[in-house]
Amino acid sequence: MPLDTSTYSLALLRVDGRRWNELRRLHAQIRTQAAADGSSYLEMGHTKVMCVLTGPAEQNQSQRRGQTSGGGGSARDTASINVNVIIAGFSSVDRKKRGRNDKRTQELEITIAKTFSSIVHTHLFPHSSISISLHVLSSDGSLLAALLNAATLALIDAGIPMSDYIAACTAGSTSSHSASDDSADPLLDLNTQEEQELPYLTVATLGSSDRIAVLNCESRLQVSRLEGMLVVGVDGCKQVKQILDRVIREKGVQMIREGAVDRSDTMVMDLDE
Amino acid sequence: MTSLKRSAEGDTFGSNISNKTYVRSTRSGKVQKIVREVYLRTDIPCSSKLCKACLQSAPRNAANEVQPFVLSEKPAGTKSFPQGHYLMPDTNALLNAMDLFEQSSSFYDVIILQTVLEELQNRSLPLYNRLLGLTKSEDKRFYVFFNDFRQETFVNRDPDETVNDRNDRAVRQALKWYGQHLAQTKAKNIPAVVMLSDDQENLRKAKAEGLHAASLRQYVETLEDSDKLLDMVADVQSSGGFKKPGQMLYPEHFTTSRMMTGVKAGLMHQGIFNVSPYNYLEGSIKVPAFPKALLVLGRENINRAVDGDLVVVEVLPQDQWKEPSTKIIEEEAITKNEGADAEESQDLVSEKERKALQEEVKKTHKVKSEGGPQPTAKVVGIIKRNWRQYVGHIDPSSASKGSTQGRRMDNVFLIPMDKKIPKIRLRTRQASELMGKRLLVAIDAWERDSRHPTGHFIRSLGELETKAAETEALLLEWDVQYRPFPKTVLDCLPSEGHGWKVPASTDDPGWRDREDLRNLLICSIDPPGCQDIDDALHARKLPNGNFEVGVHIADVSHFVKPANAMDTEASIRGTTVYLVDKRIDMLPPLLGTDLCSLKPYVERYAFSVLWELNDNADIVNVRFTKSVIASREAFSYEQAQLRIDDASQQDDLTNGMRMLLMLSKKLKQKRMDAGALSLSSPEVKVQTESETSGPIDVKTKALLDTNSLVEEFMLFANISVAAKIYEAFPQTAILRRHAAPPKTNFDELSNQLKVKRGLELRSDSSKAVADSLDECVDPKEPFFNTLVRIMATRCMMSAEYFCSGTQSYPEFRHYGLASEIYTHFTSPIRRYADLVAHRQLAAAINYEAVHPTVRSRGRLEAVCKNINVRHRNAQMAGRASIAYYVGQALKGQVAEEDAFVMKIFSNGFVVLVPRFGIEGLIRLRDLAEPEPDSEFDAENYTLKTKGSREVTVELFQKVRVRVHDEKDEMTGKRGVKMELTSA
Repeated sequence: MPLDTSTYSLALLRVDGRRWNELRRLHAQIRTQAAADGSSYLEMGHTKVMCVLTGPAEQNQSQRRGQTSGGGGSARDTASINVNVIIAGFSSVDRKKRGRNDKRTQELEITIAKTFSSIVHTHLFPHSSISISLHVLSSDGSLLAALLNAATLALIDAGIPMSDYIAACTAGSTSSHSASDDSADPLLDLNTQEEQELPYLTVATLGSSDRIAVLNCESRLQVSRLEGMLVVGVDGCKQVKQILDRVIREKGVQMIREGAVDRSDTMVMDLDE
Repeated sequence: MTSLKRSAEGDTFGSNISNKTYVRSTRSGKVQKIVREVYLRTDIPCSSKLCKACLQSAPRNAANEVQPFVLSEKPAGTKSFPQGHYLMPDTNALLNAMDLFEQSSSFYDVIILQTVLEELQNRSLPLYNRLLGLTKSEDKRFYVFFNDFRQETFVNRDPDETVNDRNDRAVRQALKWYGQHLAQTKAKNIPAVVMLSDDQENLRKAKAEGLHAASLRQYVETLEDSDKLLDMVADVQSSGGFKKPGQMLYPEHFTTSRMMTGVKAGLMHQGIFNVSPYNYLEGSIKVPAFPKALLVLGRENINRAVDGDLVVVEVLPQDQWKEPSTKIIEEEAITKNEGADAEESQDLVSEKERKALQEEVKKTHKVKSEGGPQPTAKVVGIIKRNWRQYVGHIDPSSASKGSTQGRRMDNVFLIPMDKKIPKIRLRTRQASELMGKRLLVAIDAWERDSRHPTGHFIRSLGELETKAAETEALLLEWDVQYRPFPKTVLDCLPSEGHGWKVPASTDDPGWRDREDLRNLLICSIDPPGCQDIDDALHARKLPNGNFEVGVHIADVSHFVKPANAMDTEASIRGTTVYLVDKRIDMLPPLLGTDLCSLKPYVERYAFSVLWELNDNADIVNVRFTKSVIASREAFSYEQAQLRIDDASQQDDLTNGMRMLLMLSKKLKQKRMDAGALSLSSPEVKVQTESETSGPIDVKTKALLDTNSLVEEFMLFANISVAAKIYEAFPQTAILRRHAAPPKTNFDELSNQLKVKRGLELRSDSSKAVADSLDECVDPKEPFFNTLVRIMATRCMMSAEYFCSGTQSYPEFRHYGLASEIYTHFTSPIRRYADLVAHRQLAAAINYEAVHPTVRSRGRLEAVCKNINVRHRNAQMAGRASIAYYVGQALKGQVAEEDAFVMKIFSNGFVVLVPRFGIEGLIRLRDLAEPEPDSEFDAENYTLKTKGSREVTVELFQKVRVRVHDEKDEMTGKRGVKMELTSA
C-alpha cells in the first residue's frame, strides 16, 4: 500500500508525485466515431470517458411529451439537451452494477444537461433535441469535470453553436475538515484516493474567463479555505481550456490538410507551420 | 475509421509517467487490483545544504514558501567516514532499532526514502508514526526523500522480482544517485552516504556496486559510545540461518486467514488477553460470545501472549476445563533459579510449574459440586501485540558472576515492575553497570523456541529506590506525558505572562457577552494548599424567597483556543496527574495556577452556571453565562467548616456558605433517594516533610461537611450542563456515563456475604445495591461496612467519556450517581473533557461559533478514547505513587495493625490494612517454617492450617498483622511485607 495524503507536508508531494498546482496528464481526441454527429474521447489521468453526440435532430414522440432531463425553456422554442451517462461496470476498482435509476448518475446527467442548456444556443434549433451520451470507461477521480470537458469537445465537433467552451476541473485542500491546520495548501485535479480522503469541489468556467458555470461541492470544508480552492480551480480550468482548444485546432488543421473540409476564406489558421 | 490509439510522438509526458500496480485484499476478503499513476519528476531536492542546484528548483507551497533544507553541510564523521556522512536506513534497520534513531548522541542527518517509509507503514504503524515524529523534529535532521517520484531513482519491478528485492534495489539506486549527486556539488568535504541494513544480501550487493553500506551492528561499533548503543541493537537473526533450530517450546500460531475464518465461523474467539494479578500462569479473555470470561491456563495455552494483546483463542475440550486457580503463583518464586543462558536445556514446563498444575487438576476433580470447572481456552494466534516499553530491573541471580569485570556479552533477565508481564531476556555487555538500576526496555520478539520474550535495553532511569528513578518509572509505566511543555505550546500563552489582567474597560473584546458578577460574594473551597482553583461558589437569598446559587468555573477555553499547539498537547495529556510529591500538569502552569485559577482578591474570567432554587432545592430556573468574577476568599475545607460552625460570624459571605450547605444537604438527600451509591476506596494521604520531602506519616483522609458541599454543587452543575449541551448537540455532546454492572459481577461478593454473614446483597438496581450496602453492618466492627463497600466498588464498571451520538439515550445513565445524564464541566484546568464541554456550552449559548473540532464526531470519539485511557492511567499512577510513599514511610519501621481478610487462596490470603490503605499477601509459607499443611474450604471461604502452626482464617475476619518493609535480596525489590501475629 502506498502512502496516503497525510504525507503531503513532508515534501509537498501528492500521492502520485504531483505538486499542489499541477494537472494530471490530459489527453483528448475528437471525431472518434465517424458515424456520430459529434464525438470525443478524453483522459484525465486514469479517468477515461467517451462522448457520442447525436443532434440537433427532430424530437421523437416521447421527448415531445415531456422533457425528461434538464433542458430548459419550452419544448417548442428551443432544442432540448438530453444527457445520458453510462458508467461501465469495469470502470472502478470494485466491479459495481449500476442501474438505470442510480441517483448519483442521474445527478451527473442533470448537472451536465443544465450546464449546457445555458450556453448552447438552443434557440436556433426549435422542435429538436441534442442527445449527449457519455460513457465512463475508467474512473479515477474528477469524473464530473472529465464528463463536462468531453461533452464540450463533442458539441464543438458536431458544430453546434455555443457561447464558449465549458472547461472543468476539481480543486481540493491538503487537510481534512476537522484537522484544522492553517497551513493547508489547495490542490488541483484530484484523483480517487485524494477525493476519498480530502474535501474537494468541482468547478467549471466559461472559456478562459472567470465566469463560473458549475460549482459543485459535496464535502465538508472550512469556509476559510474555499477562496484558495476556488482560485486554484479556476486557474486549472484555464489550463484545461488551453488544452481543449489545442486539441480542436490541431484536428482542424489536420482535416483541412487531408482535404476533408474546404479551406474557408475567413480561416486565419497558419497551415504551413 | 479513426483509431483511438494514442499517437506516441504527441505525448510530451510519455517518459515521465509510470504506473504502480498492486493487489490488495479488503477486510471482507475481496481481492482488488489497483493501478495508480506515478508522475516522475526531476525537481525533488536532495535537501543537503551543500547543494546549490537543488535549492534553485526547490518546490514551493501555495504561499510561495520554500521548505528549508534539512541535511547539514558538515555532518558528523565516524572512524570509517572522517569526511562526514549521511545515513540511509533500510526498512529492517528501522524496524529493528527505532530506539537507536531516537538517540540524541548520534544518528543525525538521516535520509528516509519513500520506499522505506511505505514499507514501514505497512509493517508497523506505531513505528511509522514515531518515524514521522522524528522527521518533524528540527534538531534530528531527518529528511524524507521521495525516491519513487524522482526520475533518476525510480525503479520498476522486474517480472520475476519480489517486492522486497525491488525495494532493496530502489534503496541502492537512491544511494547511488545521492553519491553521484553530492559529488557534483564540488564541496571540499563531500559526505559519504551510508546505507544501514540488516539484510545480508542487500549489503553484499551494495558493496559489489561500490556503495557505502554497513549493518547496524557494524555501524554502531564505529561510534563513540558504542557499548551503550550496542545493547539497543535488537537481537535479530542477523547471525541466524546457521543457528540450530532448537527445540520448539510453543505451538505455532495460526495464520491470519485461518484465524479470521475460525472467528467468523464462531469456532474461535477474539479478545483482549488479561493476566490474573495473582497468578502469572492464568489469564482470562472476555469474548462477546460468552457472558463469562474464558480461562487460559498454563504457559503452553497462553502461548506467548502478553497482557493486553489482542488474541484469538480456541475453547479446549470439556475434559480440560478447570476451576480458576485458588493459588497464588508468582513468577519470581517459581522460576527463580532459571538461568538466562541455559535456555535450551530446559523443558517448557519446569518441574515446579508442573507440580503446581497437578494440584490444580486435583482441585478440579475434588470440588465438582458448586460452580464446577469453567471453560478454558488456548491461544492460537495473536492479532495485535500490545507491547509497549517496560520498566523493570535486572534479576541479579540471572547474571553470571564472571560478568562483573569484562565487557562480555551476557544474557540476563529483566523483571518488569508490572507483575503481569513475563520476564524479558536481554543481551547486554554492561550487565554489571545496569545491575540495581531501574531500566526501560522494549520487547523485540518471542520466538517459539524461547521460553521468555527477548528484548533490548533502551535507557537507565537511575538507581533503584531513588525518588527520581521510581517516579519516572511509574510515569513511564502508566504512559504519563511528563516532558516539559515544548516551545510551540508556550508560544500560545498570553504575551503578558503573569502580568495578565482582566481588562479594565468593559468595552474590551474580552468583555464581549460577559456578565459582570464582580459584586457577588463568591468564594472557593478546596483542599489546603490547592493552587489550581477550578471552581468557586456563591449563594444569596432572592426577594421572592428563593435562592440564587452560582457555580463559577475557570474560563480555560478563553485561553486555550481549539486546535492550536496548546490544545493538541492538552488533548494528548488528557488530564493532570497528581502524585504524592509532584503534579504533572495538563496545561502550562502559567494558566493552571495563575491566569485561569480563580484566586481570591483578583478578577478572573469565569464560566458561570446560575440557578434559582426554591427551599426544597428544586430548580426554578437555570442559565449559563460567561462572566467576570472576583473571589472574596479561598478557604480550605477545614477553614470553611470552622467558619460555618462559628455562630458569631454573621457576615453575608458566611451566611451564603450556610445557605449552600443547607441546599447541598437537600441535594444529597435527593440523590441518595434516587439510588446514588456511596462507594469507597481505601484513601490515605501521605504527609511529607517540606524540606526533605521524605514521607513522615500516613493518614486516612477525613471527610467534612464542606467536602460534600462542594461535591454536591459540582455534580449539580455537571448534570445541568450535560442536559444543555445534549439539547444543543444531540449527536456530538461530550458526556460521561457509568454503565450498570452485569449481574454476574456481584455473584461472588453476594455469595460471600451470604455464607459468612447471612447478609443479602441485592443488585437489581443501583437503589437496591445502595440500600443493601447500608444494611451490611457489623455492630462490633464499624470498618466492616467500608470493607464491603470497597469490595463492591471493585465489582463496578468504570465510568467513561463518550460522544452522545454513539449511544442511545437510556445508555447515558450514570449508575453510581443515579443521574440520567452527566458530563464533566467543573475542572477544565485539570481535565480535557471539561474543556471540550466548555466549548460546546459556549456554542450552545451562542457565545461563540462552533469550532469544527468540537463537532466532528470522529474526532470527538478519538478524544474520548484517549482521555478514558489517560484518566485511568492517571489514577493508577497516583495510586502507585501513594503505595511507593507508604512503603518509604514504613522503611525501617515495624507496625502492628488491624487488618481484614479480603480474599482467600488455598495457599495464602490477602489482607487490607485500613490504616495504610494497602493490601498485602500472606502466604502459608510466611506463616511458619516449614510450610504448614492446610485445608481449604472453598465453599465456606475458610483456610485451616495444621502442623507447624495452627490458625484458622476466614473471609472478612479481623486479624492483627505486623507490617514492615523488606528488601528481597534476590530481586532487589523493596516491598511491604506482612506477617500474621494473631488470627
